[in-house]
Formats: sequence, C-alpha cells, structure tokens
Amino acid sequence: MRKVKEKGSKGISYFVDKYRIFILFAILLIISIAFAPNFFNAFNLTSIMKGASLYIFLAIGMTIVMICGQLDLSVQSVMNLGAVLVIGLRTWSGFGWIWSILIAIAAGAAMGLINGLIVTKGKIHSFITTLGTMTITSGLVFLYTHGGSISTEGDFALGDLMDQTLIPLFTLRVIITVVAVLVFSLILNRTRFGRAFYMVGGNKDTAWLAGINTNRKITTAFIISGSMAALGGALFAISQNSAVPNMGTKGISPLMVAIAATIIGGTSMAGGKGGVFKSFVAVLTIMIIFNALTCFGTGYEVQVFANGLVLAAVVLYEALAIYRADKIKGIRTELLKEVQNK
Amino acid sequence: MNKKIEKQGSVSQNIAHEKQSGKILDITSRFGVYGILIVLIIAGIFINSNFFSLNNFKNVIQAGAFLGILCAGMAFITYSGHFADMSAPITMALSGIVTISCISFGIVPALLIGIGAGVLVGVINGIVIGKFKANPIIWTLAMNFVVSGIIRWVYSNKQIYPDVESGGSIAGEMFTNISRTYLWGIPISVFIMIGLLLIGQFVLSKTRYGKQLKIIGSNIDTAKLTGINVSRNILIAYIIASFAAALAGIFVTSFGKVGAYYNGEGYDFRAVTAIVIGGMTLSGGRGNMIGVLGGVLTIGILSNLMTFIGIGTFEQQIVTGAIFILIVWINSNSLRKLGRDDA
Repeated sequence: MRKVKEKGSKGISYFVDKYRIFILFAILLIISIAFAPNFFNAFNLTSIMKGASLYIFLAIGMTIVMICGQLDLSVQSVMNLGAVLVIGLRTWSGFGWIWSILIAIAAGAAMGLINGLIVTKGKIHSFITTLGTMTITSGLVFLYTHGGSISTEGDFALGDLMDQTLIPLFTLRVIITVVAVLVFSLILNRTRFGRAFYMVGGNKDTAWLAGINTNRKITTAFIISGSMAALGGALFAISQNSAVPNMGTKGISPLMVAIAATIIGGTSMAGGKGGVFKSFVAVLTIMIIFNALTCFGTGYEVQVFANGLVLAAVVLYEALAIYRADKIKGIRTELLKEVQNK
Repeated sequence: MNKKIEKQGSVSQNIAHEKQSGKILDITSRFGVYGILIVLIIAGIFINSNFFSLNNFKNVIQAGAFLGILCAGMAFITYSGHFADMSAPITMALSGIVTISCISFGIVPALLIGIGAGVLVGVINGIVIGKFKANPIIWTLAMNFVVSGIIRWVYSNKQIYPDVESGGSIAGEMFTNISRTYLWGIPISVFIMIGLLLIGQFVLSKTRYGKQLKIIGSNIDTAKLTGINVSRNILIAYIIASFAAALAGIFVTSFGKVGAYYNGEGYDFRAVTAIVIGGMTLSGGRGNMIGVLGGVLTIGILSNLMTFIGIGTFEQQIVTGAIFILIVWINSNSLRKLGRDDA
C-alpha cells in the first residue's frame, strides 16, 4: 500500500532533478520581477540578453566539451583571439566583415583542433592541455595587438546593426546567439552525430566498441568549443566597435561564468550528461541574479558572492544526491519490506 | 633442449634489456624535470655570462619561493588524485587580509588568526570533497567565488595597509619585514619553502598517512575497500594545502605591503603548472616533492633565461605554455612506455 506513495514522491524528486535549472530560472525570475526595482522593463530585459550573449557562446562549447568528459580552460583566451582578430583584420588589414568573422572563427577552430589533437594523440589530460594553450593563446593575442586595444575607427555600421532591437527583447546579436543555441541543441538531441558525444562521455570504451571514432569525436568537440568562443568574442567586439586583449581578466571572468553555468545547467563534469539549452537557461539565470542584485543597488562584490553561492549550492546538491544514492546502493528495499511485513 | 635454453636466455636477455631501458624511462618519469633544468642552465651559460652566477640563482629561487610554499601544500591534493585547489588564490588573499586587520592584537596572534582563516577554507573544502565527494575543481572554484565575494563585501572592495591598521606600531613593521628577513643573505621564505618541501617529501614517502594517500590517489575505491578512512585523509590533505596557501599568502601580502582580495591571483594555475611539470600526474598517486621543487625552479629559470635573451613578456607566455605541454608529454609518454599509465 505504501509502495504507491513512495513511487509518487520519487517521481517528483526525479522531475525536480531533471528540470531543476528551469525551476531555478522561473523562481529567480519571479522573485526579481516581484521585488527588484526597475527590473521588469523592456530595456533592462534586453540588456540582460545582450550581457548573456557572450557567455552563452562560451557555454555552448564548454557544454559539448564537458559532455565528452573533458574540460576546456582555453575558451576565454580564444574568445579574446576572436575579438582582436575580427577588429584587427577589419581595421588594420582592410578585410571585409564577412572575411574577418570567418577568419576569426577559423582561428578559434584551429586552436580547438590543436587542443583536441594534444588531448587525443598526445594523451595529455584536457585540464593540462587547455591550461597550456590558454597561456599560449593569450600570449598570441597580446602579440597581435602589441598589448593595446583596437577600435573600428569610425566604422560603426555593423556594430550598430548588431545592437539594434529587431524583435522586442532581441537584438541581432542575441538572435544569432539563440539560433546557435537551438542549432546545437537540435544537433545534440536529434542527430546521430550529436548523440555520439554523449556516448563518448558516458563510456569511452563502449562508444569505441559501438563504432564511434572517439578521438575524432573529442577533437570535434574542442573544435566546436574553439570556434564558438571565437565567434562569441568576435560578435561582442563588433557590437562594442573595439577589442581589448585582456577582456575578462579583471572582474568576473567569462571562463568562470561559462563553467559555472554549464555545471548549474546540469552538465556533469564526468561526462555523458547535460545539454546546450540547459546551459543557455543557466547563463540567463546567472545574468538575472547579477542584474537583479544591481537593481537592488548592491555592488559588484555581492554578485561575485551570489554567483559562487549558486554554484556551490548546485555542486553540493549534486554531491549529496550521489552520496545518498551510494549509501543505499545495493540495499534491496523490497526484500527489507518483505521481512518487515512478516 | 638446447634451443629451449637458448630461448630462455634470449628472453631473460630481453627482460634485462627492457629493465635497462625501463630504468632510464623510470628516471625520466621521476626526475625528468631536472634534465630539462640542466639543459636550460647549460643553454643559459652560453647565452649570457651573467646568467651562471650565484646572485642570479639567488634571484630565481627568491622569486619562486612563494610559489614553492604554495606548491608544497597543493601537491598533497594532486597526489591524492583531486587535481588542484582552485581556491588557493583566495585562501592566500584571505589569510593576508585577515592578518593585517588583526594586526593591532600583536604580530603573533594576528598571524595565527590569519592562518586559521585560511585553514578554515581548507576544512570546508575537505569536508565537502572528502565526505560528500563533490567535484574538486568545481567546488573549490565555487569556494573561490564565495570567499572572494565575502572579502570584497566585508572590506568594501578596499585595500588595507599594515602600517595604517597597526597605527604605526611595531607590529605593522614586523609584518612587512616577514618577507624581508634574511638568513645568510637568503630570504627566510626560501628556507621555509625547502623545509616544507622536505617535510612533505618525508610525509609522503615515509609515513603511514603518505602511503594511504598514495593508495587513495591510485584508486579511491580500492582504498575504501582496504579500510582506509578516505574522507578523513582527504580532509587532512586539504587542511595541509590550505595551511601552505595561507603561509604563502602571508608572505605575498607582507611582500606587497598591502592586503587585498586580488593578492593570490594567478597562483592557482602557476602552482598546477609547477606541480605537474615536477612529475606529479593529475591522475594521482605519483610523483614526489623533489620533482615539485624542480618544477618551481624550472619555471623560474625559464622566465629568467627568456628575460636575459630579451624575449618580450607576450612571447614568454607562448614559450612557457608550449614547454609546459612538452614536459608533461615527455613525462606521461615515458610512463606509458613503462606500462604504468593506461591513459
């Protein structure tokens, strides 16, 4: 008789666990709308979307890399590479916008390829590999800009277009971001190419036995991560009409926001779990926290604190769930119940 | 019959041969970093006559001392298979800033409170990671955010100065003198670094705790099955790491004469670099403190050498990153050839 009740409660906890990022998002959004002054208006919501755009691009790549069971620390410096390349090629080398963006993405993809090859062929842990390439890339970025910033020098047309609100709440840059999220979400969920990433992360050996070229899959994940980071940086630089080589090294680092969002969104660092859309919602959640705190008039330090607190809570929640599952692992409840009934 | 013996002979010869090449690989995997160090030093002698001098080496070891103190603790975490302590920068900043704000109680209580504050971070990390098995990188990263937010909040984003906080008393001066105290012309931080590394080496190789940590690092499930108290041992590793980080933080703060939330920035990745170059693999259970010292020295000599050649800061970054990956590859490759690493 009690069985039914237990099943029901398990269903709710399963539901909460699966959709926790959407629940978190909804709760925080409602709280912010209800209590934060000047939060719920078109201008502020647009600015949240605009602020989130950069982080979302990093989070897309980070999610796919983490689904493969790897980690990419180099996304932030690759983002800067994309930013300085797109402006530098346009201003200094006189390329058109299309070519500048394409070359910037290609450069990001090349960094991803290098990461992937070192991880798979050199068999070095991705934490170390990307730590090394992070240093290398940030050196390259500084070398390219000679340590200074680059601007488009009066060429503001595309930058203005990027920040124009085409649909309410959505500027062109945000639309591109959302399209990228939807495309990668669909690829990961619906195609054989995308599902294979989950297999590689879940169990590499099984994936190999199932006929997946695991090394190529991991390399592909790093290439996607690199090119998305470069694209995000490039679009951000275009809308700012300038690029600096050390964006994100002071203040809240985009790398940390991307990692935090990916984890909060439910992608596990062990691999095989997660999704791009959930990471997207997680970035928006973090942005809402930041923005609402600013609306309350609190300083930047509280934002850092809140970001850490949410991340810590999610990590602790996940760890506790596994800890509890480990404790009752191997205990067969139905046998215990049989004993109790007798 | 004869053939059989011959065959056996050739097999044993083969084994002997393998043993010999294995020995070389073994040494490469254990102390490979010193080979690189010697190559760098020899290159340095040819490049600049000022390079091979006592004074220059003193500079290098002095510059690396803070990093070495931090690594001596963090190596325990890497050894136990828990990657790295990403909350080290904020532990450093916290111990420094707390020491300065307590400086009016006198130098010794202030230092004790400062180190205690740092160790508190380690205790929290150790409990959550050891007991509840949270992901070590992500959890310590979250801790870094949280504590950084708290420090900025409490001190409202300001920097604090030891001479101002102590009201011009002797304690403030003593605090800034901590990293300016010399013994036979060598700063005291160098002795502390070497002392900590030697103690660490002793603990890792000779004590029961070190052996248990090695089993935990090699295979945490096996360790649990053999009856080792895994969560307590990991907690101790994090306490050791945070103690070393707090000590390093006090030196850095004392050196800069200013307490601020950004005092430890960049030390997390530099420490990982030094530890991993030194032959401690991220998979855990392998490496030693002598290697870690080699890693710290290699980073120092490399940047020193590049400055002598006249390579710019940006190019230095590129070379450092490339050499980092190269050394790790040499290490892991020789381990793989020995059949000791399946990764």
